[in-house]
Order: sequence, then C-alpha cells, then structure tokens
Amino acid sequence: MTRAKIELGDVTPHNIKQLKKLNTVVFPVSYNDKFYKDVLEAGELAKLAYYNDIVVGAVCCRIDTSDNSRRLYIMTLGCLYPYRRLGIGTLMVEHVLKYVEQDGNFDSIFLHVQVNNEGAIDFYKKFGFEIVETKEHYYKRIEPADAHVLQKTIRQPQSPPMLNGTVPHAKTNGHD
Amino acid sequence: MPPSNPLPPKENALFKRILRCYEHKQYKNGLKFAKQILSNPKFAEHGETLAMKGLTLNCLGRKEEAYEYVRRGLRNDLKSPVCWHVYGLLQRSDKKYDEAIKCYRNALKWEKENIQILRDLSLLQIQMRDLEGYKDTRYQLFMLRPTQRTSWIGFAMSYHLLGDYEMANSIIDAFRTNQMKGPYDYEQSELLLYQNMVLAESGQYERALQHLQKFQNQILDKLSVKETSGEYYLKLKRFKEAEAVYEDLLKRNPENVMYYEKLVEAKQLSSPDEKVAFYDDYKLEYPKAIAPRRLQLTEAYLPVFERLIDEYLRHGLHKGIPPLFVDLRSLYVDESKADTIEKLILQYIDNLAKTGVFSTKPDEVKQPASALLWAYYFAAQHFDYKQDTTKALFYIDAAIEHTPTLIELFIVKGRIYKHAGDPVSAYEWLEEAQAMDTADRYVNSKCARYMLRAGHVKRAEDMCAKFTREGVPATENLNEMQCMWFQTEAAAAYQRLQRWGEALKKAHEVDRHFSEIIEDQFDFHSYCMRKMTLRSYVGLLRLEDVLRSHPFYFRCARVAISVYLRLYQHPLQDVPQTQEPDTENLAPSELKKLRNKQRKAKRKAEQESALAAQVQVKREQHHKARQQQEQGDPEAPQLDELVPDKLARAEDPLEQALKFLQPLRTLAADRIDTHLMAFEIYFRKEKPLLMLQSIKRAWRLDSQNEHLHDCLLRFRTWLDDKQAGLPTGVTTVIDKETQPMFKGRSPQTMAEEFVAGPALRSQRGALWGARALRRLQPAPAPAALALATRLDLPGLSIQGCVEVLESLRAGDFGECEKETEQYVQACRAKFPHALAFKPDAPPADDAQPGDFALDN
Repeated sequence: MTRAKIELGDVTPHNIKQLKKLNTVVFPVSYNDKFYKDVLEAGELAKLAYYNDIVVGAVCCRIDTSDNSRRLYIMTLGCLYPYRRLGIGTLMVEHVLKYVEQDGNFDSIFLHVQVNNEGAIDFYKKFGFEIVETKEHYYKRIEPADAHVLQKTIRQPQSPPMLNGTVPHAKTNGHD
Repeated sequence: MPPSNPLPPKENALFKRILRCYEHKQYKNGLKFAKQILSNPKFAEHGETLAMKGLTLNCLGRKEEAYEYVRRGLRNDLKSPVCWHVYGLLQRSDKKYDEAIKCYRNALKWEKENIQILRDLSLLQIQMRDLEGYKDTRYQLFMLRPTQRTSWIGFAMSYHLLGDYEMANSIIDAFRTNQMKGPYDYEQSELLLYQNMVLAESGQYERALQHLQKFQNQILDKLSVKETSGEYYLKLKRFKEAEAVYEDLLKRNPENVMYYEKLVEAKQLSSPDEKVAFYDDYKLEYPKAIAPRRLQLTEAYLPVFERLIDEYLRHGLHKGIPPLFVDLRSLYVDESKADTIEKLILQYIDNLAKTGVFSTKPDEVKQPASALLWAYYFAAQHFDYKQDTTKALFYIDAAIEHTPTLIELFIVKGRIYKHAGDPVSAYEWLEEAQAMDTADRYVNSKCARYMLRAGHVKRAEDMCAKFTREGVPATENLNEMQCMWFQTEAAAAYQRLQRWGEALKKAHEVDRHFSEIIEDQFDFHSYCMRKMTLRSYVGLLRLEDVLRSHPFYFRCARVAISVYLRLYQHPLQDVPQTQEPDTENLAPSELKKLRNKQRKAKRKAEQESALAAQVQVKREQHHKARQQQEQGDPEAPQLDELVPDKLARAEDPLEQALKFLQPLRTLAADRIDTHLMAFEIYFRKEKPLLMLQSIKRAWRLDSQNEHLHDCLLRFRTWLDDKQAGLPTGVTTVIDKETQPMFKGRSPQTMAEEFVAGPALRSQRGALWGARALRRLQPAPAPAALALATRLDLPGLSIQGCVEVLESLRAGDFGECEKETEQYVQACRAKFPHALAFKPDAPPADDAQPGDFALDN
C-alpha cells in the first residue's frame, strides 16, 4: 500500500475557516479574531498540514521580542485526533525548526503546554525542548490551569542581560 | 449595370465617397458627403443617396430616421439594386431575416450577378434554413466565381444539407483534383474528413471505408481515422478488423469507455460471464486503468460481483476518491448489488474504527487514517439514496466528528436535508461548506442553488456576487454570461414564491439566450467555410436546429407556461394604493413612533435610490464600454426591457404561453408534459381540434398517465357541453379519433373506472382520481378526500404529499380544515424533517415589503 501524502500549505483568507474549525476541536481554549487576523500576515509562520489532501493539522507561530531576546513562540500546533502519530506534528515542528535555522537570528523557541499534557511534553522533548518554567494559573477556563514553558535554546546568551542601558544583543556583542 | 438615375461625374464621385466612408465606418463623413449631394435641389430626391444616408444613420443608432430615408430612397428609385440592397441590410441589422431575403431578391432582379448581394443572400438563406434557396444561390456564386475555394465548398455543402450526397461528393472530388494542390495541410485533411462524413451519411460504409484508407496519409487527425474506421468495420460486420482497431485505440487510451463497449460488440460477447472475463483480461493488461474495473461491475452478478465490488470499494476508500458513491450509484438499480455494497461498507466501518483495517482477515494491511472518513462519507450517501434520513445523518455526523475540516461532508449533509424536505437546513449546511473555501466556485454555485431552492433569491444573488464582475449587479452579470442554471432555478424559485412577474422575467431571459445562441450562428456561416472546419460546422447547424430541446429551455418554458396559465385564471388586480395608516385613532406616543418609523423609512429609501443611481451610472458606463468593444454593431436592435410587472399583466397570457410551447411541440415531442401543457392551453382557448391533437400525442406516449386521464375527462365533459355548437366536420373527426380513448363511456363511468383501478397504483394517481371524482355531479366529496389523502400507495414522496396538501388548501376538495390538519400530522410522522409539514413553518422567502402587493 502506498504511503499517505503529507504536506504543508498556506493559510489564506479563503481557507481560514478550516483553521478555525481545526483549532476549535483540537484545543480546549478558543482564539479571538485578532489571532486569526495576525495569522493571515504570518507567512511561513502559519501553516496548514494536509494528509491525503485533507486539512488535519496546523501550526501558528509569532516572533516574540520581549525580555531582550528574539524568540519564536509557537502559539498553536495541533492535529486532529484520528491523524495523530502519523508524523504530521513532526513535519510541522521540523518546518518551524527549519525556519528558525534559516533565519539564523533566533535565540530560542518556546511554547506553553498544560502541565498534564504528557504526550505533548514527550513529543517536544524529542526535539530538544525542555521545561524551563511553570506558570501557575496560566489558563483561565480550563483545568489544570498551570502551564509549563517548554523551550529549545538555539544559542546561549553569552552575558546576562543588563538591568539598564543597551540591549546585549548577540550580534552587537560581537558573538555569533 | 448603370443606375437608373445616374448622377453627373462630380456628384457620382461624392456618392462613391459615401460608400467608402460606410465601409470604413466613417459615418460622420459619409453624412457630410450625402448632404453635399442632397443639398443640390436637382438631386434632393436622389434615391440611392437617400438610401445610403439612411444606412449610415442606422449605424449611428438613429434607427427611425434610417428607415425613413431608406424607404424614401427606395420609393424614388424602385429599380435600383443599391436601394434594395440597402433596405435588405437595414432589415438584416434588425434581425428581420425574412424581409431582408425579399429585399435581396429584389435587388438581384435588377442586377443578377452582384457577388456581394448573392453572398449576403446565401448567408441569410442558410441562417433561415431555406436550403433550396441556398442551393440556387450557391450555384450562381459557383458559376460566377469558379476559381474561388468557398464557391466550391458552399456549392457542395448546399447539396449535402439537402441530402444529395452523390452530388456533394462529386463536387468535392472535382474540387480536390482541380483546385487543391499540395502540400497537404490541415485544410486538405479536414476536407477529406468532411467528404468521408458525406459518404458515411449516404449509408455507403464500404465506400467510406475505402475512401478513408486511400487518403489516410493525407489526414492529420489520426484519431478520427481510427475511430471512424472502427465504426465502419462494425457497421459492415467485419468484426475481426474492428477488434484490431479498437485494441489499438485502447493502447492510446485505456480509460475510454466507448472503446471497451465497441470491443465487446466486435467480439460479439453477450453473456455476463463472457464480459466479466473480457474485462479481467484488460485489468491485467492495464492494471492502472479504472474503466475496465468499473465496467465489469455493471456486467457482473453475485457472487462474483461481491468479490469485484470489494476490490473496487477498497481501492476507492484507500485512495480517498470523493465521487466514489456517484460513480457507483448507477449499480443501485439492482437491489442485490445495493445490498452487497451496504453489507461491505458497514463491515469496513466496523473494522476500520476498531483496528484500522478493512476486514477481520489475518492478512489485512493497515489503512490510512482517512479510509474510515471516506467510508463514513460513502455510507451517508448510501443511506441518503435509500431515503433513510436517520442513518444518513448518523454517518455524516460521524464523518464530521472524525474530520471536521473536509468540505465535502458539509455538502452531503446539506443534500441529506434537501432530500428530507428541509431546504432551509440544507442551504445552511451549504453555507458552512462554502465558508470553508471561499475560492471554490463549485461550492459557491451549489450553495446559491440551494438558497434558491429555499426561496432566498436575494441571498443567492449575493452568494453569486462573490464571483461575478464587480460594480455590476450579480443578476445582470449572470444574465450577460448566459448563466442559465441560475436563471432557471431563480424562475422556479420566484414561481414558488408566487412572484409571477419575476418568474416570467427569468423565463424570458433564458428564452432570449436561446434566441441569441441561434443568432450567433450567423458569423460562422462565412467563417467556417473559410477555415474549412466543415465537420464541426455541419454539427453546429444541426445543433442549432434542435437547440431548444435543451433541458434548460424545457424547464423555463414549463415555468412560464404554468405561470401564464395561472395569470389567465387569476389576473392580477391593479396595484393597490399604499394604505395610509389611520393616524386619527392613534395614541400620541404611537403616532410619534409611527412618524419616526416613516422618517426612517424615507431616509432609507433615499439612500437606496442614491445607491441605485450610482449603480445606474456604472451600468451605463459599462454598457457604453461594451458597445465600443463590439464595434460595428451599434445598429443591433434593442430588445424591450423585461419589466416583471408588465409581464405579469400581459394582455394575452395564453398567446404568451403558446410562444413558449411552440418549440417544445417539435423538439420535446417525446415528453408527455409537452402535450399535457398544450392541452391545458388549448382547453382554455376552447380549440377542440388542438385539444384532440394534444391528447392524441400524449396518449401515444403513455396512455396510462394520470394527468392525461384528467385531460380526457375534462375534454369529454367539455364536448358534452359544447358539441351542439361545433361544425359537423369537427365532431365527426373528434368522435372517430376519441373512440379508442373514450370507448363510448360517460364522464361518470370514466371517473369511476379510473378510481377503481389506475388511481390506486400510485400516490399521484390517487390525487388525480380524487380530482376526477370532484368533477362529477354530484361529487362524492368524502370519497374523493379519502382517496387523495391516502398514504399507503406506492410512489409516496414528500413532493407528492405537498401537492396533495396544496390541493386540499386550494379548496379542490371543499371545506376540509380538520382533514387537512390530520393529513399534515400524518405526513409529519412519515417525513419528520420536511418543513412543509412542520407546524406553522415560516414562509421561506426574503421578499421585501410590497413585493407581494402585485399578487392577489
């Protein structure tokens, strides 16, 4: 039997409803209109995953520049239940990793995950993510409300951030 | 030939310049020169100049003046070919081809050998299908210009169209040997194939075959050579050779269903087993081809069928072929096949859900995750087809639960609701599907269509507007694009909404498209002859001859005819005055509210009219732009604008209905509805012989038709009433012709016999039987009512029940409020989803206030 075809495609104003449907069933939290408006501008940072030409997964990221660093934040990454463990999530994570690599200017990738979501935690650990922090009461309407922050470091910050003054950016510090 | 009223050299030169200006479309200059001649009192009434001035004015869109000048010119110079030619051109531009032909003939009387006029005449003759006249004209052109290619072709074709194949063939032969000199190109190739077509149509397949073989090196369309020679071999019963040809063709394209069928014919296979074995061979030979697998399913019977369909379904579900069910639907005529499919699909679902494989056999391979989804999807359509709404919804919901992102699922869910009689839920699900991919025009159109079915015309237009040109109202653009599916559906929707005028407008628009398509032929008469695409050209002529046999025309004609019949029965009253509310009896606060409301309404109306004005401006700009595009045709006749209100108030609804009927009487003569509609019209016009003719034609098609029986009954009753006043010749004919139908029975006996037998065969029969009882005097009302409302007869359908209900509510069976309510309840129990039987179903329409004011 032939292998199933898995590929990524763009999010457009024409098919954004499919992303909404997918997110509604995959995630316990709902996203507002602003989220979907930004997604349309996100280019390679928002992708739909197709399994035999059917939309079954999606990943949406944004660039986070708080805390004096440039980080990629995975807002959502999910796949419909019947299509899990088929390599679709891996494809999406690999897409993100490749994006970060090609860009060459990210310090890290991070995301939030509900503390009891062991499947997800194990999944990300495979790609070198680690739990770096646990935020209590991160989620408003779901239980458990605590979230781990999973992070994959791309390059080590060479010096601790200064409290005042200029941004100790890797490049300006002369490191690569 | 000198003009009958020659001009002196100076004026003659001016006249020549008018002609040149006309040819070069310099109409303003043309008028200037005409003025120079006509301002000389000596030539103020010079016929040809006046005529040319008229023709020039016509090109500037000044039609009335044009006719005035051309006629005046003609009166002053009746023997001038120029004047007659000009008059012909003017008529032609007005699409009055009959008149134009007469003018050209007159022109030719005074100048027999004018090539231009002959050519124009020949075009009109072929357009009007005056084939004899066409032949004569082509003959003259041929004699005058024997060296021209088109002279030969036209000459040959005129014989071909008249069925004189020998003559046509020998003209082409002579032409080829004398005129066509190598190198052999596309045109030579087409000409040969055309000649071959002529030979085949004469029934001489042997000769056609030899012709094809002899010239096959000169024919570039190799596929045509193969396909036609295969055809000839079969006709000549030279099966071995036919077999070889089709084997060869299959190598080119193993998916061509026709090749397989012809091959079966060539191999003279007849038993199902032989055919199944035959397809087995080709499955081996072309393992990737779908056609042999699918065709085999049609031939096979159980138990072989089970093995084959199992294979076919697994393949389809594994790959995820969306139209798998549609592909297999035609197998469902055989109930045992449908049962087998059901058994298998349920087995797949069971196993896929549990273990991801198709069956419990040990060697099963794991299927992709989407296989279960497609199995649910198939099951939903399967049960929908079997009218098992509950199961269909169960499986489609399971599919949506499994994969909520697949658009097809929502389309099917909508379709299930449509079949269950709930057009509102149906279109809502289509709306959902549409929103999931707004770039998909198929889903968009489908959604619009479902909206029309639910009576939401405005919404459907808005939906279509996502794909029509911006700045123009969707309906206008759809009309311009001859989007007939939309217009026929809209006509039917308006009819259901009882917006008669709008329904008629849509029907007339569709009718005009057909006229326009026939009109559009004109350009091809000269073009195809030049380009040598003769086979397609003949095909086009034949298509145009039966153009109105198209289902779109039938549908729009049926709407138009029934609306006109209704308007004849219940003419619209005059537009009622908008009622001023009784302000005196209102409390001050209510009065204030009312004033506020009125102010708001006024403001809204003003805004709307401003908007409408903008649209109007845009439309005019667009119109102008278009006219400039289609230069050279500003003189095309302007059709009257179709105004719904005017259409609904036609003075002669029956005549209008007849206009729609006429094409059907020849082109849809095999549909009984045509003749039943004809009867309904002639019955109201009280034309006994035409009633008879309609009844006889319907009788020949299906003497058992229930509606026909009703026509017979009414005809019989009418005759009993009016016979005395009819001429004896007429009554003799009617008596003789109706003998086999009436068999000397009275209306009473006819009705009773019908009710005792045919009426019990179906729900539809029962309704007509009940109506028949009601026509009797005195009418056995309770019996009629009981018959009409029976729900235990074959052929029970939602549509059938709705018809009965409408009949009950229209008072066909007298006062029967209680029975109607009972009937609605009984129907609701049978069809729980159908909106028509829901208590106080909201009227499905988006009519604006005032729209119904037209109706009474």
